[in-house]
Amino acid sequence: MKQTPLEEKIAARMQPGVITLSGFLGLDERHYHEIIEADESVMVAYGVSAEEIADRLEYFTTSTYESFQGPVIIDDIYEVETEITRGKLPCPFSHPGLYRKTITTLTNLNTGVTLRWTGLNIHLIRAHHFFEGKGSVFRLDPDLLIKNIF
Amino acid sequence: MLLQIISDIGASAAISIFLALILVFAQKYLNTYGDCVVDINNKKQITVKGGNSLLNTLNDQQIYLASACGGRGSCGACKCKVAEGGGPLLPTEKPLLSPKEQQDNIRLACQVKVKSDIKIHIPESIFNIRKFVSVVESITDLTYDIKAVVFRLKEPAKIDFKAGQYVQLETKPYGKIKQTTVRAYSISSKPEDDTLVELIIRLVPEGICTTWVHNFLQVGEEVNLTGPFGDFYIRDTQADMIFIAGGSGKAPIKSMLQHLQVVGTNRKMTYFFGARTEKDLYLTELFKGFEHVFPDFQYIPVLSKCDDAGLYCARSGYIMPYIKEVLRDPQNTEAYMCGSPGMLEACRKELRNLGVPDNKIYFDSFG
Repeated sequence: MKQTPLEEKIAARMQPGVITLSGFLGLDERHYHEIIEADESVMVAYGVSAEEIADRLEYFTTSTYESFQGPVIIDDIYEVETEITRGKLPCPFSHPGLYRKTITTLTNLNTGVTLRWTGLNIHLIRAHHFFEGKGSVFRLDPDLLIKNIF
Repeated sequence: MLLQIISDIGASAAISIFLALILVFAQKYLNTYGDCVVDINNKKQITVKGGNSLLNTLNDQQIYLASACGGRGSCGACKCKVAEGGGPLLPTEKPLLSPKEQQDNIRLACQVKVKSDIKIHIPESIFNIRKFVSVVESITDLTYDIKAVVFRLKEPAKIDFKAGQYVQLETKPYGKIKQTTVRAYSISSKPEDDTLVELIIRLVPEGICTTWVHNFLQVGEEVNLTGPFGDFYIRDTQADMIFIAGGSGKAPIKSMLQHLQVVGTNRKMTYFFGARTEKDLYLTELFKGFEHVFPDFQYIPVLSKCDDAGLYCARSGYIMPYIKEVLRDPQNTEAYMCGSPGMLEACRKELRNLGVPDNKIYFDSFG
């Protein structure tokens, strides 16, 4: 696939070692456009928008921001904790701004499913509908996500 | 007809290539900016070859602004005031500058190109910043995910810093990582040990630099450090002091207390260290030992998850409820905090509520 210089730059920034240790694509050999399209189709099937998912993730992260020393129960069924480490990360899409290194871990106590996301994940979903490639350390499967956070 | 189309496409491609070559040639040989004068603080003028970024231009003169992203315009650490020259503010800079900073002509040095004479203002302390070649002398496990690394300075052989300041550590390419990365870490050794720098580094999931330190760095290896940076240091007063830290935030507090041990102090000091469990505690003997060194010092670990049988379960949960226990005169108290932004914000709120003036709350936030 012929890429524009910007697309080439974005793909390069998603590689391991540029912004994060393992990059954003994992073992996924698809182009990031294809990853986005496939994940968008999942959201369409559920009738949920990327903004709604990002808002929900942000709600959990913000709710646990000051609970820095352990998990808290939210809405009776979510056990959530957010850990903040030193530094900030830029967006691989060259979107302006920096995103704090936060890792939020949520366990849905009804289903037993545990999900993990970063501050950058929230931005990538909201602004770019990008859930990362399969096998990526912080890949969020939209199907699993939608079933467990709403 | 087909031949005509192919020939037209060929001609267009040839013209495009020709124009591109002219541009490359012009950029390389004609687009020189000659000598430019960089005026620093109206005190020092340096003549440089134009065309490079202000950050690199200053680096070449051994004037080091902070930069955590290696000049990629993403960290916003290399801010400085450009009083004259420097061209218009770029879209890459705007997201990292507040409206006030933009109004005050603050720029990102990595994005400003030196194309003509330029006048800048930088803090005087930056002239003390040096790039050091060091050798790793020791690597010690402090917990399951925190290591202390001692770097013996080689060139220059000594560093002049204030307890609480930080250095930037430059990684080398490793594994799949093809480029160097720069990250900031507080110095945990005392300023009096001026031939070494000790850093306390916690392994961050997916962290390029911390993974290098934890899994690849070897004793004897040469490593570049730049510093010292930062304005988190002890104020020379007689006020009571409350230290609050969590995780690797212990590093600058260790440096401060070891420095105070050398110079001596009678100030009332309390140190709250927030950790999740006992296995997250480290250097406990050292800090408890300070209770016998200083006339009025208390080290208080506060664990969020406490086993009833644990040694340090006297106080558990959050740090905030325990602060009032040690406050003697809030107006005459200084707080020094280092850790996660959530913890700092919660403690700052509590200190304010208890009457500690905001301008006496100093912090080094991870965020």
